Amino acid sequence: MRTHSLGRIFVGAVIAALALAALVPSPAGADETCNSPYMANLIKGQEDYLYVWALGVKGVGDGADKLVTIDVNPASKSYGKVIHKLSVGGGRGEAHHMGFTDDRRFLWAGGLDNSRISIFDVGGDPARPKLVKSITDMAAKTGYVGPHTFYAMPGRMLVQGLSNAKDGGGVTGMALYSNKGELVATYPMPTTDGGDGYGYDIAIHPQKNVMLTSSFTGKKNYMRALGDLVKDAEAMKRFGNTMAIWDLKAMKPKKVLSVPGAPLEIRWSLKDGDTWAITATALTSKLWLVKPDAAGEWQAKEVAVIGDPAKIPLPVDISINKDGTGLWVNTFMDGKTRYFDLSNPEQPKQIYERATGKQVNMISQSWDGTRVYIASSLLANWDKGGADDEQFIRGFRWDGKELSPTFEVDFNKEKLGRAHHMKFGSKTMKAAYDLERTSRR
Amino acid sequence: MTSSVRRAAERGRVLAAAAALAGAVAALAGAVAVFSVDAHEPDAAAAPLMDFVPPPAGSYPLHAIMRAPDGAVLDLDGRRQPLRHFTSGKITLLGFMYASCSDPHGCPLAYQVFHTVRHRVATRPELRDRVRLVSLSFDPARDTPRAMRSYMAGVAPAAVEWAFLTTESPRRLVPLLDGFGQDVRVEADGGGRPLGPLAHVLKVFLIDARGTVREIYTTSYLYPEVILNDIQTLHLQSATQRTMR
Repeated sequence: MRTHSLGRIFVGAVIAALALAALVPSPAGADETCNSPYMANLIKGQEDYLYVWALGVKGVGDGADKLVTIDVNPASKSYGKVIHKLSVGGGRGEAHHMGFTDDRRFLWAGGLDNSRISIFDVGGDPARPKLVKSITDMAAKTGYVGPHTFYAMPGRMLVQGLSNAKDGGGVTGMALYSNKGELVATYPMPTTDGGDGYGYDIAIHPQKNVMLTSSFTGKKNYMRALGDLVKDAEAMKRFGNTMAIWDLKAMKPKKVLSVPGAPLEIRWSLKDGDTWAITATALTSKLWLVKPDAAGEWQAKEVAVIGDPAKIPLPVDISINKDGTGLWVNTFMDGKTRYFDLSNPEQPKQIYERATGKQVNMISQSWDGTRVYIASSLLANWDKGGADDEQFIRGFRWDGKELSPTFEVDFNKEKLGRAHHMKFGSKTMKAAYDLERTSRR
Repeated sequence: MTSSVRRAAERGRVLAAAAALAGAVAALAGAVAVFSVDAHEPDAAAAPLMDFVPPPAGSYPLHAIMRAPDGAVLDLDGRRQPLRHFTSGKITLLGFMYASCSDPHGCPLAYQVFHTVRHRVATRPELRDRVRLVSLSFDPARDTPRAMRSYMAGVAPAAVEWAFLTTESPRRLVPLLDGFGQDVRVEADGGGRPLGPLAHVLKVFLIDARGTVREIYTTSYLYPEVILNDIQTLHLQSATQRTMR
């Protein structure tokens, strides 16, 4: 009893002392470079963990999607090793993307096939995430399926659907949830004034009151074998060709931009004062710039070619550096990682490339740009077969001239499934008042 | 090492850590930012850049995000009161704060924005009796009712209510933080020991007269113009509802 009492006293003292020390929001300019601008508690310096949302594979383990935690701190004894894995059960749900809540305490992750949203607590014990809630009624409540992008807003999570429950086509919308997982509102993607109704990614520029969205394809296409799909000319017409500018406060579309060929990830320049964003089109293999013209009117224009578009290299993910001067581009089909000089965003120039896998998809980089992480899987039915179906997370060091391998986790060998989206974690983050909660148990 | 010796050693480390933290506290307390309560506009250096014209009040919806939580708080006289007395009956702008906060992008910014909003609402006869500001302390240990009274002594009288509240203990505070989704984090070392200052996301909550949170602002979007439009939007909505009854 005495020990418990002392513990409580200590906890109270620490809380009081720390509360007085300073409740300082973490500075901008840290962590991974693709987070929501509303996110706080950013990681300063070396990340400790890489959370990987992995697609379940039938016959491999329980076959379910998993959140895999890899130790990525070179100073750690378990560097480059899997230190935790958490199955969400229920078979393969087509694990795809994830996003932190604005306080970085919870990580939301979606299944494109089962439309389930899994919410993990990564604040309590960052090395051992816990599944704390599953949202299974997105389709029933919103009519949208395929939760793709999870974009933190203050106290809320904006979720971009890829498809709809009615016909599995590409017309879809966004669902806004409270951080507690309650549905707040829905927003259909624009279908008038040039809008095709499709959705994919979300990116916000708060100081301009602008939200930018992109467009991909519906469930009937993304769940179909890629080899069959590309032979179906009618199906291949059903890809998004637009981006939309939204009034963020009103959450109303203001203008639809023509961006042919499935514009996917959107990255705003992170340099103070910049007001441009860049995206890559998957089918046409181009980089497109979105920015206001001299009259303040938002415009999109093609600014570069990625590889040989005739060979459909399929650019699938991009990662912008901290000051908007460089961009990584991963192309799935040729397994290449390319670096573009963005010093002049109107004329990006490729200055580096190397094959980083037989198939590569997601790419993430640390704020200082020296650590680069690459994942292998695109979609269960789009990944390659046979020996080309490598499944991995690979770490690299970038010195400005060369990508040098640092570690690799073989997801096939370790029976973890298909490695898709990655987010950073840190052991230095902990919820303070958990101390108080713990002391009361 | 016996268990009693081990416990003593642990307590020693704990106390050393607490002492180090207390030192940091003292140093930071001396560096508390000074801001003028007479200034009606946020400090331009700390305020987020606003490069847009917000949509007009009433032209957009403000969805019901969640119910504002309830729990016991202390007013400036040290009386225990339910928080709902301060989150219903009027349109309420509520933010967590603590008196010694020094980060210009944190509590001082929120304070200045509150001050600006209050000043502008006071000039609007149709709003000033229908709007309330609430500052609720993160720091029950230091921000006692007496300390909060000293803190608010610099706030100029105005026609718009501004309540300064605290809680008796972290035990009373934690459910409110949980209910609002207001995080407080501490960085820890590899052994889980607290390393330094706490961090939190600056959040300000707009609550309608029925006690439902309708908007949440953070540092990236804490604009008095937007907040005023949102207050006006809620007012127009409630006026319409009154007319329809």
